[in-house]
Order: sequence, then structure tokens, then C-alpha cells
Amino acid sequence: MSSETQLAQFIISGITTGSIYALIALGFCIIHNATGIVNFAQVDFVSLGGLMMYTLLLSLGLPLILSFALAVLTVTAVGALVERLAIRPARSRAVIVLIFITIGASIFMRGGFKVLWGKNQMALPHFSGESPLVILGAAVLPQSLWILFITLAVVGLLHFFFSRTRIGKAIRATSYNPRAAALMGVNVNRMILFSFALSGALGAVAGIIIVPITTLSYEIGVMLGLKGFAAAVLGGYGNSIGAVIGGLLLGVLESLGAGLISSTYKDVMAFAILVTVLFVKPSGLLGYGDSERR
Amino acid sequence: MKKITPFLLISFLALLISPVMAAEPIKIGAFYSLSGPAAAIGTPTKLVTEMVVEKINKEGGINGRPIELVLGDTESEPTKAVMVAKKFINVDKVAAIIGPDRTDLGMAVKKMIEEAEIPTFMTVGGDPVIMGGGPLGTFKWVFKSPQRSSVAVEKLYGYLQKQNLKKVALITASDGFGKDGKGWLDKLASKFGLTIVADESFNPKDTDMTAQLTKIAAATPDAIVCWTIGPAGAIVAKNVKQLNLKSPLFQCHGLPDPKYIELAGPASEGNMMPSTKLMAWEALPDTDPQKKVIKDFVTLYNDAYKINKQFPINTHSGYAWDAIYIVANAMKKAGTDPAKLRDAIEQTKGYVGISGIYNLTPEDHNGLGVDSMILVRIEDGKWKLVQ
Repeated sequence: MSSETQLAQFIISGITTGSIYALIALGFCIIHNATGIVNFAQVDFVSLGGLMMYTLLLSLGLPLILSFALAVLTVTAVGALVERLAIRPARSRAVIVLIFITIGASIFMRGGFKVLWGKNQMALPHFSGESPLVILGAAVLPQSLWILFITLAVVGLLHFFFSRTRIGKAIRATSYNPRAAALMGVNVNRMILFSFALSGALGAVAGIIIVPITTLSYEIGVMLGLKGFAAAVLGGYGNSIGAVIGGLLLGVLESLGAGLISSTYKDVMAFAILVTVLFVKPSGLLGYGDSERR
Repeated sequence: MKKITPFLLISFLALLISPVMAAEPIKIGAFYSLSGPAAAIGTPTKLVTEMVVEKINKEGGINGRPIELVLGDTESEPTKAVMVAKKFINVDKVAAIIGPDRTDLGMAVKKMIEEAEIPTFMTVGGDPVIMGGGPLGTFKWVFKSPQRSSVAVEKLYGYLQKQNLKKVALITASDGFGKDGKGWLDKLASKFGLTIVADESFNPKDTDMTAQLTKIAAATPDAIVCWTIGPAGAIVAKNVKQLNLKSPLFQCHGLPDPKYIELAGPASEGNMMPSTKLMAWEALPDTDPQKKVIKDFVTLYNDAYKINKQFPINTHSGYAWDAIYIVANAMKKAGTDPAKLRDAIEQTKGYVGISGIYNLTPEDHNGLGVDSMILVRIEDGKWKLVQ
């Protein structure tokens, strides 16, 4: 294997892992865009997406597309339920209170998954086979391309949604100043409900397309959550394009570090870069600080 | 007569029951990872523990005294393991401890157990818990039932040497278990005439190891040896297939488990690994003394308790059985005095268990040799004994 092919493999491997981080990071951004909080239950939406897909596709034997749609719908409903049953009754806008509620919701959901699906590892089939494609001499799984393209499609849609549609703009207004938004006729509670449902849907999509590669368990989302969170922070927390750039960057740096320097220090290098970026630019690569949020 | 009959009956019954009733139960603490990342290993271990304790109690307990099991959850975390062990020692005042099930957890509680002087039989994979000297401290009170990593490495390297696969590439996990394995893989290579041509590591939570395997491919090894437990092993197998590497993949003795084939799918085909005899017991010759013991265990596990519904038998399934039987046998001989019990455990000779025939010594707190292991290969999605 020539060194160019090796390099191509490192970069493509990095993009594969990076797009997984990016997709998880995107989920964190949506709730942040509406409420300004970190939703720790996001990782459980990811797990639930994968688990529902497993039940619908393998246990009930439904077709792929139908299972996909039903799994996303279920988690969307669960996302909305979390808002209605946990966030709204708190009647608080204090960020710290809401964050703690999401931690509680996360622990509660994970306990439920453990009881319903058991503690075993599970496997989901790849969407379009496992025969690797060869790009520039590097082997890449079709599933990785699915992840990459769906991530890019999602970020495009989100960008359009938040900057071009009335609801998207209303959600951003709610985050920026809920009181002023309410005075302008925005139904603040409904916007927060929307954003939780949306982040549920996104988490489900992430879970469904990621688990064929990562394997599935009741807490798979938690395993991936740390890196996803790091990617979101690296890109500028709350910025959806930043989340994708952060995720891909983290993945490629890890892979290059492991391949060219030493795999022993792979995680150390990725997090060292994260710390350095935050030291130089605390709001992240594409962050705008507190004054403006995209 | 009418008045006397029930009275007689009751006193007769009381006479029958009283030796059992009066006997004070012996408390044994057992703690495993019932939640967290290692839950899929800890939960069946707990079920086997309950199964074997029930069996011992049905057969008359420890000289008439029943075993009372006190269970704990380590949550796969060292700090929680320490808390549970403290409770066993100070609150429950157990006579012996079984578990924990992960190397990191075992190391976290080792020092405390040595100080509290409670005989403890662990079901961890890594060797440091029964190694002494320097930072490892002492191992007077700690035993373990799974084969040493070094024994598994010797089994594997013996095969490589026989097949003339001289250039070995290592890819090991960065956790306690992986590091322990890597240490032995490095140390024993020269003894078997092998050269290590690549040495990579990964985080067991990673989802892609193609970068490391690309580097390994550049070193053109005769064999790739992976050392990890959990889903990461299956991901390595899939990545090897993805990169179309021709070198055969060998996994460690922690992975022989039907789950591995399920997770790795067709990529698991042809993978080889050292294992306990449990994974291919039907292929053993009838002269093997373990065969009958394993058969009884499998019948109980699959047919009576139906644990296989949720957790099909894997290479780990017998570890808790062996640990508890060795402790129970020692208790029958020496009672529950900690020092005497410890000595009796250490003097165990020729105990025929699920995972091997145990011969313990003061230096060897495991008691299993290379002959206790077999090498298995995955063929058509089934575990086959490599002769």
C-alpha cells in the first residue's frame, strides 16, 4: 500500500467517524437554538432511534423505509413528551434548572431502555450491503457514505429551516429573548415543544443510520455523546454548520493522529486540539459569542 | 390419640427441619457489573451465581448451613465497586467475596480486600489482581477463576509458532484488560520465535479502527492479533474485512461468544481465538473429565434456568460457577474462619471445573494451565474446535 493510498485511507476513515460525531453534535445544537440549554437527553434520543429501528426492522420484520419512518416518528413523539412532561411543568426558564431536568430525563429513559431492550449488544444490517467501495485507493463502506450525505442534507435543511421559515425564525427569537418573542406574538411554549420534537427526530435519524457501524446497545448514544458534544463545542455551540465542521475536523484529526503519529495518543491529540481552539477562541470555530446566534 | 397425633407430627417435622433451620446461613458477597458498559458480561454472571448457590443449598449447603447471597452492582465503575466492597466488609460482614468481573474494578478493590483479609475469588480477565510486587501490592487474599492472560497468549502463540506465522501485528484496547494483554503479547513473543511488526491501540469505545489497520497492513504481518472485549472486537473484524486484509485475524480469550458472530456478521468467518472448553465441549473426547461437568452445567443453564434465552452460553459463563464451587468446597473443609478458609482455597488441587482443572498454589492464585484452553475457529457462523 503506497503512502498516498494510506493517507487517503486515514482521511476517509476520519470523515467516516467525523460524520458520526457531526450528526450527534447537530442534535445538541437544535435545543440550544431554542432554549439556550444543553440537552443531555439528546444522546438517549440517539439510542432510542437505533433501538426502535431494531424492534421494527428485525423483531417485527417491517420494510426498511417504513421502519425508518416509524422509528423517527416515535422518537419525535418522545422528544415532545420530554418537553411536555418534564421541561414545561418546571415553569422555570433558569438554564441550570432545565439542564438538570434533561439529566434526569436522560437517566430515566436509559433505565427504561435497559428494562425494555435488555443489556445485550445488538447488530443492525447496513442499508446497502457491506461490500466496501474503493475511493482513491481507500476502502469505504456504503453506510459511511449514507451517514455523510444524510448529515449534509440535514444541515442544509436545518440551515434553511432556521433562517428562512417563520417557525425557524420564531424558535431563534424564543432563544434570544423569550419575553420579547412572546410580545411579538410568538407562542414560546409551542416553539420549545417544536424544538424538542425536532431534536428527537434528528437524534432518531442519527441513531438509525449510525448503529449498523457502531453496533447497538441501550446506551450507545452515551458512548458517542462525549465526542459529539466535543464536536459541537469545537464548531461553536449552537451553530449547525459549525457542528458539522467540528465533527469532521475531530474525526480527521483523530484518524491522522492515529495513523501518522501514534494510536496510543489518539484521544489525547483530539482533545488537545479542542482545548487549544477553545483557549484561542472560547466561542468555538464558528461561534459568535453571546451577541448573536445563528 | 386425636390430640396427640398432630402434636407428634409437628414435633417430628420440627425434628426433621431443625438442623437446617437452626443452622445459621453463611453470607457470601457477590458483585458484578449489572449496569454500565460491562452489563452484558456481569448480568449472566450474576444469574449463574444465583443458579449455583441454589444448587449448593439444595444439596445440603456448607455442611448443613445454607449460603446466603448478598448481591451488589459495580455499575462497571471502579468507585462504585469500592463502595460495594466496603459494604460487604463492614455492613454485611461476608465470609467471602465473589467478583468483580472487570480488571479495572478488581484492581480498584484489591488493596482494600488485602487489608480487610476477606478471601475473594474474582472473575476478571486480567492478571494484575493475582500478581504482586511494587505498585501491585500483595495478592494473599485474592484469587481469580478465568485463565490468566498469559496462559491465553501462550495458547495463541503456540498455534502461531506451529503454523509458522512469524510476523505478528498487534492491535490492543487502551483499557486495563487490553494493556495487560499487550504486556504479555510483547513479553512472550520472543519465547515462541515471533516478531512483532506493528503495534497499534484503540479506545474500546471507538467505532472505527481502519486507520490503525491501514498502518498494520503496511507492515505485511502473517497474523493480526487483537486484544479487547466487547463490541470493539467485532468492529476490528469488520474493518479487517473492509480493508480486505489477507492476514488471519486472532482475537483474545474474552470474545468467544455467540454475540461476537452476531455483531461481526460474515466478517467473523475464519477468525480464531483461544477459549475455554465450554465453547466446543461437544467435540471433546469422552475421556476428558471436564466433559461431564460441562454437560451438567449446560443442561442446568439452558434447560432448567433458561438463561440462554437472554444470554446464550459464552466462554465466560462458567467462571462464577468455578469461583463459588472452589470457595464452597474450601468452606466445607475449613469453615468460615478467614485465615483457614484462605489456606483451604489456596490448597485446592484437582478441582474439575467448567473452565479447567484447577490446581492452586501460593504462587498461582488461578491454577489453570495452557491445557485448560482450546483454540476455536468460526466456520459457517459456528464455533469449531481447532485440533
